[in-house]
Amino acid sequence: MTPFSNCFPFFARNPKINYLDNAATTQVLYTVPEDRYQFEINHRANAHRSGHRLGTWVDTQYHSAKQCIAEWLSVSEDQIVFNSGTTQGLNDSAEFINNRYQQTVIYVGADSHHSLFLPFYRLSKNSGHTVKTIDITAEGLLDLDWLEQELGSIDKKVQIVIAVSAVSNVLGKINNLERIKSMAYEHSAVTVIDASQLIGKRPADITGFDFVAFSWHKIYGPMGLGCLIVGLDWLKTEPARPGGGSIIHVSYNQVEWQTGAGRFESGTQNLSAIVTIPKLVGWIRQNEKEIEKHDVALARYVASHCPSDMFRPISYSDTGLISLQPSTGAVEDYAYLLDAKNIMVRTGKLCAEPLVSRHGSGLIRLSWACYTDKRDITQALDTLIEIYEKLRRNVSRAA
Amino acid sequence: MFRELLDLDDATDKYEWIIDYGERGISLDQGHCVDANLVRGCQSPLWLARYENTFVCHADSMIVNGIAKMIVDYYNQADEGSRQYFDLVTLTAIGLAPLLSMGRQNGVANLIRRLKELT
Repeated sequence: MTPFSNCFPFFARNPKINYLDNAATTQVLYTVPEDRYQFEINHRANAHRSGHRLGTWVDTQYHSAKQCIAEWLSVSEDQIVFNSGTTQGLNDSAEFINNRYQQTVIYVGADSHHSLFLPFYRLSKNSGHTVKTIDITAEGLLDLDWLEQELGSIDKKVQIVIAVSAVSNVLGKINNLERIKSMAYEHSAVTVIDASQLIGKRPADITGFDFVAFSWHKIYGPMGLGCLIVGLDWLKTEPARPGGGSIIHVSYNQVEWQTGAGRFESGTQNLSAIVTIPKLVGWIRQNEKEIEKHDVALARYVASHCPSDMFRPISYSDTGLISLQPSTGAVEDYAYLLDAKNIMVRTGKLCAEPLVSRHGSGLIRLSWACYTDKRDITQALDTLIEIYEKLRRNVSRAA
Repeated sequence: MFRELLDLDDATDKYEWIIDYGERGISLDQGHCVDANLVRGCQSPLWLARYENTFVCHADSMIVNGIAKMIVDYYNQADEGSRQYFDLVTLTAIGLAPLLSMGRQNGVANLIRRLKELT
């Protein structure tokens, strides 16, 4: 239990579960299901279409949600696009880039999640784009010295794209976004940032990038809702998925698109999720500093208590996760046996196969959040050691 | 066939039983754990080969090894008619389905497909 635990109803209902898969999805803040339920039973209507009072209520909540996000992240409301999550945001970004440029050189971080890597990999296979990988330093950060040299040597006529994670979901290190922004500015590069492991966990300056994507379910919010923050220079670009709500005027031979983010939000939005955002953002902002302090304290605790002779940490992260390579046993066995003890962790390729494959067939990732305490971590580490011993005995017996 | 396992209440005991089961009888030897025998789409590498009319498997994960061996043993003992209709639903009938999450079911579906291809 931490001072935050009571805000998360999951733990009152599941007191035995030790949930350490927060980099995949966090548990939800109590206001979120309450607001969703109220929307569904009292206010359900569509946004931006209807003149009746239910429609007006939804419109107000929708714009209130954008206003909260805009104030929090220091961006304009016009730049905020609601979508289904980070994956959609990154795929749309790749498509916008492909629509504007026929040929680019795209630098993608070697620590990228598949959601970031695959849209650009596909571009490179299907059209005139080339993908190059920014490798990782021994400290687990993007090798920005290499990138700087590389950008300095590239033909000035070539359009550059830099697509990187703010924080890798495997390594947990915070990449230097300021330096990336400055390099991009110097070389007129387009920037795409996967911020799904950063926003809501650390104060983040995401201004000045072309595309920044994140998901709400990773920061105590609803499933199926994300945001793409679109750079001012891209607000007049053609929408990736045109449809109802994205236009001002349509005739049989002419279309006038919405100004701002509206043109990218066609169709009915995930409104029961959007209406939960104002209270969620308010809660995060109120507790941001405490959450960060808690997160860092746990990161230090994990680093000092991890039995690294049995489980080699891939990096000692700055944020709420650690990925471990066991020196014996398959990671899948650890997952099953931890689950049998009510401990939920992520194992396998972590949706970052190119990076994880450098460290064997898979990793065990423990990731924590504001409701995780030291006892949760100790229980997980002790159980990992028990399983290690059990698997080691079996391996010896089999040999 | 797996009554002993199904009678266990504790999840850890179940997994230990599965690990032990995987160590019983014949396993595919390391020399045959090659790409040609790999069952694609499993989270943990799983290899399957046929010797005359008997199938033999091996997985790096001890639990996957045990689960796969249970399925393969069941299939080895089934008659031709039962083999033809062997699918994920059969696993429910023999009580194995609760052990398989969606991710594991995908792997098992690939194992069943491969068993049928090799039959």
